[in-house]
Parts: sequence; structure tokens; C-alpha cells
Amino acid sequence: MLRKEQNDLLTQTGPGTAMGRMFRSYWLPALLADELPENDCPPVRVKLLSERLIAFRDTQGRYGLMDEFCAHRGVSLWFGRNEECGLRCSYHGWKYDVSGQCVDVPSEPEASGFAKKIKLRGYPLVERGGVLWTYMGPPEAQPPLPEWEFIMVPPAHTFSSKRLQESNWLQAMEGGIDSSHVSWLHRGDLDSDPLFQGAKGNQYNLNDARPVFEVAESPGGLYIGARRHAEGGHYYWRITQWVMPSFTMIAPRGHHSVHGHFWIPIDDDTCWTWSYDYHPIRALTTGERDAMRDGKGIHVRYVPGTYRPLANKDNDYLIDRVAQKAGRTFSGVDGIAMQDASLQESMGPVVDRTRENLVSTDNGIIMARHRLLRAVKAFTEKGVAPPGVDAAHQKVRSAAIVLPPDVPFTEGARDALIARPEVAPASV
Amino acid sequence: MSSAGEARFRVQAPNSLPRAIKVIALDAVGAAATDRLAAGGWQQAAFFHALSSGALRDFFGRTSAVDDEVATADLIVMVAGPGGQAHAAATIGRACSARRVNTTGLLVSNAADPGLSKTLAQLRPWSLMVVIADSDEYIGDMMTALRA
Repeated sequence: MLRKEQNDLLTQTGPGTAMGRMFRSYWLPALLADELPENDCPPVRVKLLSERLIAFRDTQGRYGLMDEFCAHRGVSLWFGRNEECGLRCSYHGWKYDVSGQCVDVPSEPEASGFAKKIKLRGYPLVERGGVLWTYMGPPEAQPPLPEWEFIMVPPAHTFSSKRLQESNWLQAMEGGIDSSHVSWLHRGDLDSDPLFQGAKGNQYNLNDARPVFEVAESPGGLYIGARRHAEGGHYYWRITQWVMPSFTMIAPRGHHSVHGHFWIPIDDDTCWTWSYDYHPIRALTTGERDAMRDGKGIHVRYVPGTYRPLANKDNDYLIDRVAQKAGRTFSGVDGIAMQDASLQESMGPVVDRTRENLVSTDNGIIMARHRLLRAVKAFTEKGVAPPGVDAAHQKVRSAAIVLPPDVPFTEGARDALIARPEVAPASV
Repeated sequence: MSSAGEARFRVQAPNSLPRAIKVIALDAVGAAATDRLAAGGWQQAAFFHALSSGALRDFFGRTSAVDDEVATADLIVMVAGPGGQAHAAATIGRACSARRVNTTGLLVSNAADPGLSKTLAQLRPWSLMVVIADSDEYIGDMMTALRA
């Protein structure tokens, strides 16, 4: 459980909140690069950390992210014209560049310099790895660009998607580090999903349904190890990485790609679930990309024209009670992503953590909260940069590995837990 | 369906009974941590040192048998540091196993400490959950989270 004030502290991320300020220490994924596919394309509305913003790509290919509303009369710039290196409001023609600086007020004499006195709040927006990243904190504290491995590999090696999740970011993220649910909720998917099937490690999962969990602190967050019995008294380890505030990387399976998530607050009731798949040493196959676009693995199918999952709370996630009864799915919901999201959304927008009854296998969640609370306190009271800002904390990998029984997994998998260019992931 | 409005209508009646959590220090690192915690005024937790005799001694100096304490526990948390001095883990673990009492092994240690593997080898056979925490501050947060 958490006390109410702790729950509020961790779940409220709007401007001026402690957690919101800490989130603004990081480069955050804001849009897929495909959402702004060409110069002077239509602008896109973006809500992040409870701020309504507009993103656009100007005539010279520069990206901008700024206050959605014109400084003149408060009209949404989504209706604006993206032309000649700026976004022009459709109401009275005020025009802004990618930094949010007003560059033209047609009703005022150009020589008056009035336009220079108008500036919308703007944030940097930078493409890396097919994702547009923004930094919403104070300019003087802007860290170097992110270096997560999935955005540093060649474009052919990586695939990212995003989906709307109708819950607070924290309960979505806590689902990502709650390794003990996998043996229940996702038990039907290891053998059927094309992005998981066929790995030797799947057999260890299926042969030992009662893993023992070990949690250890890492420089950027946590290592969460799930230990199962393997041959010769050895252990099969699946090691998930969590890096603050909301990045996870799930242990790979066999030759398949490595995958994981970011959970980014839209506001306190919704978040973006970012999902990535990549392979450090090879291009993704056409079949893999098609499967990801078709909602397999950790991705979803969408309501056309949106990033809302096709299975969503308004259609009861297309629950199939026959499949549930027959054991094809455990919850009746199809697909790993929506199996998770359906249950996390069912908790309510912000779950009341004063009423929960955690058990010892929830130590991953307990320790993540502990680290977040410590980090936000140090950040707020002493200005200490939180873990995960440092690029060294971002160069991590998950691992699936067989180790002798007396070896700490943090030692036995030490090299495997670090991202190294052109080195294959540790996977079974 | 869940919505902000709907979530307001959750039943507010209590949904659990108190659990008894017993925290046992296995070595000097564990003893220092549990002594600090024991002064904290917990409602559902008791704190012990494992003695070389095989008995337990609580914060007030009273001794008791491992079996007796395990018999009235819902969760046993064994606390130790690196270096392999957690010999009592086996005795306590056997008692928990016999009575089907859940166990957590909590190591206060940097994950890279060379002495970690020795203590892990002692704790792993008897722990259904293992936690390696950089600081003993974590234990208090864990106890609160578990409603101790």
C-alpha cells in the first residue's frame, strides 16, 4: 500500500507537481516520426504531462512542439496553415516558428516589432530512431539526447508503436515490472504468438510455473530477475530492466527481437504506452514487421485513424468468454498488450493504493515506488538529477540466460545487461 | 467500465485482516537494520535476532524458539548482509517450509559486492522472494507497503 499523499505524489504529473517536474528532467517520446511525415504536413495535437501542445514540421524539415493555442485569441493552432517556415493561425493570420516565436502579426505594422513580443511556450523536438523526442524542462538543465539502444540501431532493426492507455502512467508502468502476472495472464501466448513462439526458454517457462523472483537495484532503476529450474541444477533467468521513470525492457526469447515499453503521462488519467521491438545485430524481417503492425507481440491493432486500441473499454475489450473457458486465453482478452491494458484500466484511472494488499512477490513494485519516492525527494529538495537521465543508465539490455545456482544474476549476467553495439543479446 | 466517476463508487469496507510479519536478522548487518526498525512502532511486525544457539531473541531481550515464532507468522523476512554469515537461514527456512509460511530473503548490499554470492547461496534455498537493496531504508518502506 501507499499512503494517499504518496499516491498523489507519484501519480500527479501536471505542471508544478513534484513528479511532473521530475518527468521534465528527461527526454520523452512525444510522437512517432511517421506522424509528421513530410515538410509542411498537417500539424498534430499532442498532450503531454497535462499540457496541450501542437507539433509540426516546417518547410525546412525542422520539428516544433509548442503551446497548442494562439496567443491572440486562444484559437487552436491545429486549424493552422503550415507554410513558409511557420504555423499560421487560421483566425487572424498570426504565425509562429518551430520555437514558438511569433514571426508575423498581419494586423500590426511589421516595423513595430510587435511580433517579437509574442512567444508561445515551446519545447525542442528531435527525431531519433523513428521517434520524436521532447525535453520539457528548463533549458539550462537539458541533458544530452537519449541513447536507448532501440533508437541507436539502424532503422531496419527497430520498430516502435504507441497506444492510448486509459489509466494513470504509474499503474501501467507497475504492470510492466510485475513479472509474477505473466504465468497467469499471458500463459496462452508463448506458443501461439509469432513474436514469441519456438524459443527454448518457453519450455522452461511452461515446465516451471512457480518462478522465484529476485529484485536488485541498478544504477538507473531495477533489475527484476525471475528464476526457474533448468537442466543440471542450473537456473534459467529472465531479467527485466526498469529504468526511471518509466522505461522497461523485457527479457528476450530465442532469436526473436527484444522489446519493452515507455509509459508517458498524457494527463493524470491517461498515458501513452510506447512499445518497441528491435534486434541489436540484424534487421527485422518483413514477417516480423507485419506481425507487429498487425498487433502481435506487445503491439495492438487500432481504431482506424487513431492510436486507440481496437479492443478498448467501450467494447469490453472484445472479450471472448468461449476462448477463456476453453483456456485459449486466460482472461478472455486477446493479445498480450490488451490483456495487460484491460486489467490495468479496470482498476480505474488512478487506483487507490491505500486499499491494496501487496504480497512479497510484489517487491519489484514496492522497490520501484521506493526508488521513485527517493528520487523525487532528492530532486525536489536538493536538485539531484534523477536516475535515468544519464545516458549510461540508458545503455541497458534485458537478458534470458542459464546460470549456475550459486551465482548472483547481477554478476552472471553482468555483461549481458549492458547494451554493446553489434553484440547479440543474451537470449534462450 | 472504469471512469473517474465510476471509481468514486468503490466499496470502502475493509478488505483484509491484519497479517503478522516477523523480521529476523541473520547477521550483524541484519541486526543493525532490525534494531533501527524495531523502534518504529509497527502494529503487525515483530523483530528478532537469530542466535547461534538456534533460538531467536526479540527487541526486548526475550528468547523464543524458531518454530513457535514461525507458527504465528504470515510472512518471515530474513535480513542479512554480504559475506555468508546467514547460517540461520536454513533452520528458519525449514520451519517455514514445514508450516507453509511465506519467506522473503532481504540482502542489504550493493549488487556488485563480492560477498553477495555467499549469502545468496544461504538464502536462496529458503526464500520465495529475494530482494537485494542498497540500503536498509528499503526495509521500512517494504514493511509499510505490506501493511506491517
